[in-house]
Amino acid sequence: MAHMIERHRHIIDFTLATLLRRKGKNGGLLLVYTLIIFVLASVLFFTEAIRREAMLVLQESPEIIVQRTQAGRYQTVPMSWCAGIGSINGVGSAQPRLWGYHYDRTRLANYTFMVPAQDPPGAGHVDLGGAVARMLGAATGDTVAFQGHDGAPRAFTVRKVLEQESQLLTADLVLISEQDYRLFSGVPADQATDLVLQVRNPREYATIVEKITRMHHDARPILRSEILRTYDAVFSWRSGLMLVIFSAATLAFLIFAWDKATGLSAEERAEIGILKAVGWDTSDILLLKFWEGTAISLTAFLAGTILAYLHVFHTSASLFAPVLKGWSTLYPSFRLPPLLDFQQVVTLFILTVVPYTITTIVPSWRAATIDPDAVMR
Amino acid sequence: MISIHNISKVFNAGRPNEVTAVGGVSLDVRMEQTTILKGPSGSGKTTLLGLIGCMARPSAGRIFLKQREITSLPERFLTDIRRTTFGFIFQQCNLIKGITALENVMLPAYPTGEKFSTLRGRAQATLAMLGVEKRAEAKIEWLSGGEAQRVAVARALINNPAVIIADEPTAHLDTKLSLEFIGIMRELKSRGTTIIIASHDPIICESWLAEQVVELRDGRIVAGATMS
Amino acid sequence: MILHPGILALLVSSLLMGLITLYACGYGILILRRWDITSGSELQLALERRTYLISTVVRYLLAFQLVSLFLYLRVADSIYHLFTGAMCAAGTLSAHWLGYPTLLLKLTTFFLAGIWLILNHADEQGYDYPLIRPKYFLLLLMAPLTTAETVAQAVFFTVLRPDVITSCCGSLFNNNASGIGPGMASPPPLPMLALFYTSSIVTVMTGLRFYRRKKGAYLFAGLSALHFAITLVAVVSVISLYIYELPAHHCPFCLLQGEYDYAGYPLYLVILAAAVSGVGVGVLHPFRHRGSLGETLPALQNKLAATALAALLIFSGAATCKILYSSLSLRG
Repeated sequence: MAHMIERHRHIIDFTLATLLRRKGKNGGLLLVYTLIIFVLASVLFFTEAIRREAMLVLQESPEIIVQRTQAGRYQTVPMSWCAGIGSINGVGSAQPRLWGYHYDRTRLANYTFMVPAQDPPGAGHVDLGGAVARMLGAATGDTVAFQGHDGAPRAFTVRKVLEQESQLLTADLVLISEQDYRLFSGVPADQATDLVLQVRNPREYATIVEKITRMHHDARPILRSEILRTYDAVFSWRSGLMLVIFSAATLAFLIFAWDKATGLSAEERAEIGILKAVGWDTSDILLLKFWEGTAISLTAFLAGTILAYLHVFHTSASLFAPVLKGWSTLYPSFRLPPLLDFQQVVTLFILTVVPYTITTIVPSWRAATIDPDAVMR
Repeated sequence: MISIHNISKVFNAGRPNEVTAVGGVSLDVRMEQTTILKGPSGSGKTTLLGLIGCMARPSAGRIFLKQREITSLPERFLTDIRRTTFGFIFQQCNLIKGITALENVMLPAYPTGEKFSTLRGRAQATLAMLGVEKRAEAKIEWLSGGEAQRVAVARALINNPAVIIADEPTAHLDTKLSLEFIGIMRELKSRGTTIIIASHDPIICESWLAEQVVELRDGRIVAGATMS
Repeated sequence: MILHPGILALLVSSLLMGLITLYACGYGILILRRWDITSGSELQLALERRTYLISTVVRYLLAFQLVSLFLYLRVADSIYHLFTGAMCAAGTLSAHWLGYPTLLLKLTTFFLAGIWLILNHADEQGYDYPLIRPKYFLLLLMAPLTTAETVAQAVFFTVLRPDVITSCCGSLFNNNASGIGPGMASPPPLPMLALFYTSSIVTVMTGLRFYRRKKGAYLFAGLSALHFAITLVAVVSVISLYIYELPAHHCPFCLLQGEYDYAGYPLYLVILAAAVSGVGVGVLHPFRHRGSLGETLPALQNKLAATALAALLIFSGAATCKILYSSLSLRG
């Protein structure tokens, strides 16, 4: 046992010395390998972080949302639906919500306007999300102006700037009073954007939804679990798609690695020949090659992962966020909370280290089976 | 004693470029004696050395090492025997560039898993015995031809082999260094090491070092073999 | 088809492992047909060199199969909410009939790779390649299984359809939209616990008997295999209850979650190690008089038996601790 460990130690020592002696060749390989891992890891970490953000947002959302469609398009919901739907057995409460998007032409940004159920700002006042406040350069007490649906600018006083755990939730948010919002957006007084229902017993979802659709044929009830599921599928799909695209890069890398591994330089061949001639076995050379691959993979994996972590969570994935975020390139910038889990790391490992290792099995074996008497010929 | 019975080594068998490097050689090599394999280049000396030194397996015939047949042992057993029984000195020094003389000397012992400190001590002692201990930490490319040859001999001795196998050791040495090399071999011989040298260098063949001189031509023995 | 990064990773790794195993298997067939240890021909020398390649391949297969096994469960766990009614990995796996067979195939290939490496290790101790034929027959068995696993897994993930919102209709519902999936079917907890301990004791006893007196290798191997199955059922039926401290949560997969300190990983590793080394003792036993193995095999079998015993005791000990210190009581 002690001999086994010593043998590994000697061979690792020699491997590391060998790697350092060929800085040029191994450095190039390491650089490309690290880059590939960096790109893949960034895609993975970023989409996963966004997905979690979205989940966090939705966790807060109501169990059932009722929308109305007309000719397949969303429409505002008549306030009169509230009473009818609220009286269905099992529905705790049915509340109308007022909210919508607003495109700011001068600053080229999208904001979400919302009338909060609790503690709405008074008339003529708004609360701003962090990113909106930054964009407008506004602090508490300042006056900000937005152009209403009729083209007329409206001024509001900032009551406060929102700071919350999930930046995605509040970054682009503008909270406003109901009265101001109706004037600003032109939603009639008897209409709401949608209805939210509180339902205590999950077993009753099915019956309630059925009753709502029977009551109003143009109603479109949506369950929170369905939204979660859809978001999840969309985000996973998006990152999967990115991975597929980048796998072309991985493939190119594998060809490169194969080439490096098979194209043993004359010097390397001679060295392995010497080692075999002076008493190293094929299994010793295989061990040498194993440690060589491990050292390269581990370095590239750690470096690539750490760089990607910094890239995604400290620079907000500045390099390719526009492609990945997708829903709006105009979305105000926000920072993702750092997060890393086992599954992401293993996925990354399987997508990069496993193919690399398998690519190098046969070339390593070829190198290891050079005849010991080759140096004498 | 190493006995070989009617061994042959054929390369590219069955193809148009088939070569019989060694064809039906029988030979006994006695322990603690020196054997010289002599003959022109291409006579099969090197291939025969490789077969004796467990570097390659014969295409036919049998090899016994101290009464034990080793002909068709799996490679890992042959390597093990090679490591513990034989030390090799090659025509070129075949040292690895970029690492020190000391590390080169220690290389053959790495797979045995000996403790680093013991190994290092032994390597230093071996280099001292050959008078090159001052060059232990020097990289190979900084050594002179004579120093490199001595380091190569030290590497062959690191695992305390019973048999030294040398293939044209003086081919790249001048007369002075060749005589030095013969001196080292005499020293080893006096300590009881078995030596097998393949060479057609007159300095070696006429050095009165050998108890047995075997002449090879075209893969066959033409003179000098003693058989048990 | 769900294009989840983890799924992509699983498909890629299985494909690669499947291909390389087939490649190794091709040379395995050549070895079975043309192996002749007495020959010094170039073909024989080349085949002997190939054995190094094949054992390297199987080593990687074992390592990567283990990673892939755990990732499969992790992925199943992270996508369960895509399926109405699923509560954890178990729900994902039962979303299509291929879910569990894929898991079983992964386990089997891992297991066989372990056994193969034990045979290989024994073979390397002998100087006349004593186990070359059994070893490569086993490899022939492994190749179709890895291929089957690759295909089953690919089909499983391709046909899985998440229940997502579609734009044409508001709500998708099926019959168990209530959100409460049925618990996993399992035997009654307390009798199962008794069976688990009985089997542990009997297996340990036969193991000790083999270790001390070299008797009953097959019995020990058989009991190890049986105990493996019993342990898995016991985990589902009763041990998991104590770990989750919930009287009706029969799930072998939630153990792998962070909420339970990833206890599943070491536990399953120990169970697998016990089974592979225990069965390994029996697999080696018929060859104890073959060729040069007589000298080396008993020591190797002893090592395996010791490993299996240690792993068995660790698992039983850990399970007992968990049961004793759990706040759940099934007796009341």
